[in-house]
Amino acid sequence: MKQLLATAISVIFLLIGGFQERAQNQKPAAAAAKVRPRLTLPNKESSVRFAVIGDTGTGGEPQNQLAETFFQYRGIFPFKFALMLGDNLYGGEDPVDYAKKFERPYQRLLDTGVKFYATLGNHDNSNQRLYKLFNMDGKEYYSFKEGDVRFLALNTNYMDPRQLKWIEDELSQSDAKWKICFFHHPPYSSGKQHGSNEELQKVLEPLFVKYGVNVVFAGHEHFYERIKPQKGIYYFISGAGGKLRPGDVRKTNLTEKSYDEDLHFMLVEVAGDEMQFQVISRTGATVDSGSMRRGMIDRSNP
Amino acid sequence: MSCQGRLHSAAALPLFLALLIIPILAQQKGEPGAKLAPTPAPAVPGFDERVKEYIKLRERLEGKLPKLPPDSEPAKIDAHQAALAAKIKEARAGTRPGEIFSPPVAKHFREVVRGEYQGEKLKELRGKVREADTKGVPLRVNTAYPETKESIDMPPTLLLALPQLPKQLRYRFVGRNLLLVDREARLIIDYMPDAVP
Repeated sequence: MKQLLATAISVIFLLIGGFQERAQNQKPAAAAAKVRPRLTLPNKESSVRFAVIGDTGTGGEPQNQLAETFFQYRGIFPFKFALMLGDNLYGGEDPVDYAKKFERPYQRLLDTGVKFYATLGNHDNSNQRLYKLFNMDGKEYYSFKEGDVRFLALNTNYMDPRQLKWIEDELSQSDAKWKICFFHHPPYSSGKQHGSNEELQKVLEPLFVKYGVNVVFAGHEHFYERIKPQKGIYYFISGAGGKLRPGDVRKTNLTEKSYDEDLHFMLVEVAGDEMQFQVISRTGATVDSGSMRRGMIDRSNP
Repeated sequence: MSCQGRLHSAAALPLFLALLIIPILAQQKGEPGAKLAPTPAPAVPGFDERVKEYIKLRERLEGKLPKLPPDSEPAKIDAHQAALAAKIKEARAGTRPGEIFSPPVAKHFREVVRGEYQGEKLKELRGKVREADTKGVPLRVNTAYPETKESIDMPPTLLLALPQLPKQLRYRFVGRNLLLVDREARLIIDYMPDAVP
């Protein structure tokens, strides 16, 4: 009788545990379905409006859930394009992988005409540069201009002298009011797993400072971090668009704001001398937001 | 003060201010003519010739395939990669390791890496290559670099010290070994062991 009672209690506990686990996994999905997008951005028609998302390509349910929230925010903030910060396709890169890890999750955004501009991460095959929906024009690094903003997409997997020369040529020839660079590996990071990339700081920062780069977006770390301005440059890490490394951010003297509890994406608006941003989690919650003015920081101070 | 003297002092003030301001502006914006991007490392005899030979062969083989536009569908990208890899494998059948990284070239490369990486920096590099998801990448010439495996970012300062490769080729670390990989065909063209001390 006692044995029977113990077995029954164990079964009940197992069932409760199972329900709880399932409820936790489904929580973001249910929440994503009920998202009520709330915008903190001015959302002016004349602004350059875009999104930023990194480390997306798992093809898993969390990526799809975030993509759903992403789409819902597109409804109230009609950004024209999205910057992808690398690791666009984890694992295999067969045609089915492109479909599962990119086309299906973002199909509704693609249908509304949103253009994705990709960069390459350490899990990406260089041949992605030829994929039409990544808009890389066959190049591992490239640039484009939208309004007053010159965007440079870089390949930090392979920062060789050829690319460094190209960066210098592009930046020195650009007369854009804003210069924004985006790539995979963050020069500054408070991540336990990876941390700052001093090699990149050494070769990129002198170019960024000399030619007035204002903002840098990077991924690789599976969390969000806004770094305190370094030599007049704002650095953001946005590497949890499909993968999350919970609890991976240490609070260091680099950190202005960080978030490693859920997946996220960023919305950005540039108007005149001001850039505003909003960071949104899978459940639609705003986890960071703010604004910055161009050229308001002393470049000589880290 | 004479009129001429007043004119002199009136002209001197802007000149003085300009002399004061111009160096400050130059310091902030950088010397306009001075480029920061470094020049590539000099060629390594024996290595560069063999790399050029490979590229010549590769261009000939790729020329036989339909050109892939920069707005391709995944199926076409996949087919092109497979076709190019097959042609290169066939043309280089029987190639042995060390044909590009010959013993004197490998010795030179080891010296370059040793020169760049010592102490804490070397420890970091060893840690990075050890922890990377590259276990299972076969150390075999003319074999595919598996798509499911990570490609570790090459340290930029090392790329400045090594001979610059044509854009179709890449250096890659797999463990302590240095590989030469064809970026489109994803084939291992050659490798040298113990590149990282």
